[in-house]
Amino acid sequence: MFNNLGTTIMATFFGEVLSVYSRAVEEDDDELDENEEDEQIRRELEEKREVHLHWSPEVSESLKSGNKLQCSNFVLAVGQNASSFLSVHILSTANWDTIGRASAWNERSRAVTGQSCEESACVFYRHKDNPTVLICQVSCYVAEDQLFQWTEKVFDCLQHRELNVTVLSDTSVADYKTADYLGGSSAPFLRSLHTSAFGDQPVCQSLEQPNIVTGLPAAVLNHCQVHRIAAVVYQCYSDVIGPDSVTMETYKPVLTKLGRSIQLDLSPSTDALRKFVRTTDLQSNLYI
Amino acid sequence: MRTMMCSRLDEEQSGHRTHPHLLLSTIFFFFSPDGHLFQVEYAQEAVKKGSTAVGIRGKDIVVLGVEKKSVAKLQEERTVRKICALDEHVCMAFAGLTADARIVINRARVECQSHRLTVEDPVTVEYITRYIATLKQRYTQSNGRRPFGISALIVGFDYDGTPRLYQTDPSGTYHAWKANAIGRSAKTVREFLEKNYTEEAIAGDNEAIKLAIKALLEVVQSGGKNIELAVIRRNQPLKILESKEIETLVTEIEKEKEEEAEKKKQKKST
Repeated sequence: MFNNLGTTIMATFFGEVLSVYSRAVEEDDDELDENEEDEQIRRELEEKREVHLHWSPEVSESLKSGNKLQCSNFVLAVGQNASSFLSVHILSTANWDTIGRASAWNERSRAVTGQSCEESACVFYRHKDNPTVLICQVSCYVAEDQLFQWTEKVFDCLQHRELNVTVLSDTSVADYKTADYLGGSSAPFLRSLHTSAFGDQPVCQSLEQPNIVTGLPAAVLNHCQVHRIAAVVYQCYSDVIGPDSVTMETYKPVLTKLGRSIQLDLSPSTDALRKFVRTTDLQSNLYI
Repeated sequence: MRTMMCSRLDEEQSGHRTHPHLLLSTIFFFFSPDGHLFQVEYAQEAVKKGSTAVGIRGKDIVVLGVEKKSVAKLQEERTVRKICALDEHVCMAFAGLTADARIVINRARVECQSHRLTVEDPVTVEYITRYIATLKQRYTQSNGRRPFGISALIVGFDYDGTPRLYQTDPSGTYHAWKANAIGRSAKTVREFLEKNYTEEAIAGDNEAIKLAIKALLEVVQSGGKNIELAVIRRNQPLKILESKEIETLVTEIEKEKEEEAEKKKQKKST
C-alpha cells in the first residue's frame, strides 16, 4: 500500500511489518499556479501557527532594551511525565516566579481561539534566589513546522555564554529499537544525547543507534550544537501512556546534576505526587 | 493457510490505509523467526498494567495481598474485587484484564464443583491450577483467539493439609512458589520477598500476614488504605481482612521499623 509520502508498508510472511521507500512517487503537475486566494489562506494559516512568546512585564522591558535573560541553567521538560517530575521535585519548593509562556497553535490544540488555555501552554519559571536558573515545562504538542521557530525565539531571549541546557523528554518504549528483545521489564529507562560542547558526564548511557530523538528536544539539541551551547537530552522510555509515578522516578538521577544549582525536594509528599499522578485508569475498568 | 494470508494482504492493499498491527494479529499463532510468540508476550505486558498482587505460603496459613484498584466515586467498591474464592479451600488473586479474569474464574469455579460431584473430593490446588493453565494454553494455539491477559496467584490447602501457592501466566505455564508477586511492580516485590522470605518471617500466621503487607508497602502508593488481604488457614474458609485489621498491622509494622532504626542508631553510636 502507498501513502502520499511515497513510502510503502510491506508485510513479510512471518508478520513483520516493514516500511520501505518507494521510488514510484507520483508527480503532481497541477499545483504550479497558485491563485491569490490560496496565497491568502496560506498566509493566514502561517500567522495562526506562529509561535508567540508572552513574557512578564519586567522581562519584556529588559528584552526590549536589548538585554537578554541571564541564564546559566535552562531546564526544559517535554512531555507529561517530565513536566510533572519538575513540578513535584523542583517547582514545589515554591521559590519560582512565572516569567512567561509560549503559545503555539496547531491542529492538535484545543479549539479555543484567542486565549490559550492554561493547561496546554508552555510555561517559563525563574528561580527567585538564583535568577540565572530557568525552567520551562512543555506539555502541549509543538508541530514540526513550529519546532525551530519555538527554539529560535526562546534562545534569542537567552544569553548563550556559559549556558547549560538540560532537556527531559518522554517517549514510548515502543519506539525503542534494539536487537535484543527487551521484555518490557527494563522500562522505564533513560538514555542521553549531548552536544559536543557538553563537558560533563551524563547520568545514563548514550542513546544507541538506530534510535533517534525527535520533536522539540531534537530541535533544541540541534540549535545548541550549532551555537556551541552545552546541552544534554535525557530521553525516558516508558511503557505507560499517561503521567505515572514510576516513570517520573526515572528522572531522579538527573536531579543530582541539577541539585548543585537548584534547591530540590528529594522526597515529595504523597499528596504532591497524587496531584500529578492522575490515575488514568480511574474510569477505565479494563485492567485490574 | 497461504491463500488466507494472500487474500488478507490483497484486502489491505486495495483498500484504505490499515493499521500495521492488524496484519500481525491475524497470524499471531505463528512463531516469529527467532522463536517468539508475540501475542503471548504482549499478553504478559497487559498483565503488567494491572495492580500488584502478592502471595505468601506460610506453615499453617496462605496469604494473598493486593493493591486495591482506585474506585470511581459512584462505583460500588464491593464489585471491584481482585481476590476471588474458587472453592471453600482455594482462592485466587489475578492481575490484568478484568473481563478475561471473570471468564477464567467462572470456568474454574464450575470445574471445582464438577470435580466434587464426580470424584466426591474437593480439588487439590494443583489440579485447579493445571485446569486454569491448560485453558490458557489452549488460547495460545487457537486460530482467531487471543490469549487471556491475566496472571493468577492461586492459594489454598490440599485435602492432606499442605499449604500451596501456584502462579499461572498468559502462556499457560504454572509453577509452585513459596512466595511470588504479579502485576505492575512485581519485580520490586519479588526482590523484596527474595531478601525477606525466611523461616523466621513465616514462623507464625501473623508474621506471614505482616510479610505480605510489608511486601506490598514497598510499591503501594498510599499505604495501608489501598491494601486488601485475604487469608486461608488450615481447615478454615477464606477470610478477607477488614481495613481496621490491616491498619493495625500497618501501624505495628511501622513501629517495628522505627525500633529497628533506633537500634541501628544506638549500635552506631556505641
